Amino acid sequence: MVQAGAGFIESHVEADGFLVRYMEAGQGPALVHLHGAGGLRLTPGHDLLRRRFRVIAFEMPGFGSSAENTRTGDMPEMAATMARAVDALGLDSFNLMGTSFGGKTALWLALQQPERVHAIVLEAPAAIRPQGTEPPSGSPEEMARRLYAHPERVGPISLPDPAVRAKAGRLVGRLRGPDRDVDLENRLPSLAIPTLVLFGTVDRVIPPEMGHFYKELMPNCNLVFVYDAGHAISTDRPEAFAEVVADFVERRDAFVVSQTETVIHP
Amino acid sequence: MKISYFETGRYHAPGNMPRAWPAPPEVYDREAGARAYRGMIERVRFIEELGFDWVSLSEHHYSPHRLTPAPVVSAAHVVATSQKITIAVLGPIVSQSNPVQVAENLAMLDNLAPGRLVVGMLRGTTGEYLSYGLNPTEARERTTEAMELVLKAWTEPQPFGWQGRHYQFRTVSVWPRPTRQPHPPTYALGSSRESCEFAARHRLGLGVSYAPFDVVARVTRHYRERCAHHGWEPTPEQIIYRANIIVAASDDEAQSLLEAQRRARAPFPLQAGVRDALIELDSRNVAGEARTPNVGGMLPTNFIGGPDAIVEQIERCGAETGVGVIDLLFQTPGAGDTGSLMASLELFGKQVLPRIREV
Repeated sequence: MVQAGAGFIESHVEADGFLVRYMEAGQGPALVHLHGAGGLRLTPGHDLLRRRFRVIAFEMPGFGSSAENTRTGDMPEMAATMARAVDALGLDSFNLMGTSFGGKTALWLALQQPERVHAIVLEAPAAIRPQGTEPPSGSPEEMARRLYAHPERVGPISLPDPAVRAKAGRLVGRLRGPDRDVDLENRLPSLAIPTLVLFGTVDRVIPPEMGHFYKELMPNCNLVFVYDAGHAISTDRPEAFAEVVADFVERRDAFVVSQTETVIHP
Repeated sequence: MKISYFETGRYHAPGNMPRAWPAPPEVYDREAGARAYRGMIERVRFIEELGFDWVSLSEHHYSPHRLTPAPVVSAAHVVATSQKITIAVLGPIVSQSNPVQVAENLAMLDNLAPGRLVVGMLRGTTGEYLSYGLNPTEARERTTEAMELVLKAWTEPQPFGWQGRHYQFRTVSVWPRPTRQPHPPTYALGSSRESCEFAARHRLGLGVSYAPFDVVARVTRHYRERCAHHGWEPTPEQIIYRANIIVAASDDEAQSLLEAQRRARAPFPLQAGVRDALIELDSRNVAGEARTPNVGGMLPTNFIGGPDAIVEQIERCGAETGVGVIDLLFQTPGAGDTGSLMASLELFGKQVLPRIREV
C-alpha cells in the first residue's frame, strides 16, 4: 500500500511572520484543509479528494517541526493567520475544510472572511464539546483507540516525538477555548455559508451527538453521520468521507438531490 | 414471568400443497386466507381476555404457513382490534428493508398504540435471504448498520444524512417521533456474539429463539457480561425467549402429539443445492461458538406436557436462563384447523398463566 499523501508536494508560505508549511496536490477548485490538534497528518481521504480538487493541507504554525508558537493568543488570531497564508497562495476564494480542532479554526476564518469561502466542511469538529472533553493523549495504542473505530485495521500510529507534542499541546491548550464557546456560538447564526458537518457514529473523542448543535446554530448546515467511523473519519472510511465531501463541495446545498444510479441493467 | 403469544396468521390449506419451496401463488385458497386473517383477530382478542401479556408478530415471506409478510400491517390490524395488550413486532427483517421506512412505520405504530408497542429487529432466517435476493455474506453487516440507522432516525433531534456502507441517505427526518423517549422498548433478536454486543452497546433487550434452556442460558450470560462491560444491567423483561410449546390436558396426551410431530416431514424443503449454498455462505454463531445455519429443518419443542409440567418447565426456564418474557408458539401437530389451537390457548390461559405470575 502506498503511504497516504505520497503524491503531495511540500511547500512553505509566509504569513504574519510565520513560515507556514503546507502539502499540496491535485487540480480543480481549491480545498484548504486545517488539521486537528494532533497536527497535519495526510490520510487516504486526502488522496481521494486530490483527484477532484486542488487540496492544500496547511500545518498551522506551532505544529509539527515548526518553531514553538508562543505568539498566537487565541483561535480567532490563528484563523486570521491562516487566512493570510491562503492570501499568500494567491487564492481569492476557496473551499474550507477543518478537522476537529481545525474545525473551530475554520469556523473563525469563515466568520472573519465569509465572502471568500464557498463551502465549509467540518470533519468531527471540536468547536462544541461536552463539558470536560480532553484532546486525545497517551501512548500510540491509547491514541489509536480514541481516534479510530477499528484501530486494528489502521495499523500502528506514529506520533510526533514528545517535545513536538508538548510544544503543540501548549498551543492547543491556549487556542481550543471553552467547551461551549459563547462568543463563537453567538456568531454562528450569521454564518450563511453552506456547511457540511460530519461525525463518525463511533467517535470516541467528540460524541456524534454534538452534531445537531451546529445544525441548530447555523442557517445553512447539513449534518451527515458516517457509519462505523471514529473521530478520524477520513482514515476510517476514506471512500465514504471523500464521496460526501466532494459531492457537497461541488454541489453544495443541492447535494441532497441524489445522483446515484440504480439501474442494474439497461 | 410475562407470557407472549406468537400469532403467525396460521393458514390451513384445504387440499394437498405442493411440497417444494416456494409454494406457487396459484394454489393460494382465498377462503382459507380469509379464515387465517379472521382467526388472527379472534385469537388476539381471546388471549387478551385470558390475560396474556403480549402478542408477538413476525415477518415471513412466501410462506403458506404464516401469512405475515408485513409485520407492521399485522400490528396495525391488531392495534385497531385489541384494547390493552402489548404488541411485540418481532420484527422487521431489517437486513432487507429500508431502515428509514422501518423507523417511520414503527414510530407511527408507537403513536397509534401509545405505550403498547415493543420492537425487535433481526437479520432473518437463512432461508429468508432468498425472498428478496439478499447476499448471505452481507446479511449480518446490513443488519447491524440498519439497526444503527433505525435507532438514529428515532433519536436524532435534527435532520441528518447517513453515509453508510450499505445505506446512504442525504436527508433523514422521521415524523412522527416515537411517543416514548428515546424510543419504544427495543430488542436485538439473535443469539450471536454480534447481536449480544449490539444490544449491550445500545442498551437494548435481547430476543433468543427456540434453543434449549442450556443454550439460552449461555447466550443470556454472554449478553449480561457484555451489558456489564458497557456499564448497565438489563431487566428480566429485556430478555425474550421465543419457544415452541405443546400443551395438552395431560403429559401423555402432549407426548403423543410430539410423536405425531416427529413423524411429520419438515415442510417446504429447499432444493439441496440451494440449501447447501446458503449454509456455505451464511455464518452463524451462538454467543461466539460457530453453528450450522438451520435451513428448513424442524425446530425443537421447548415446553411440553400437561399444565403442571409446563408450570414446572417455565419456573426452571426462568431460573436457568434469567429470561423475563416467554414468547410461545403453540404447536398443534396434525390439526387441520385452528380449533385445537384455541383449545391449547384456553388451557394455557386458565391453568398455567395464573400460576406463573410470580416466577
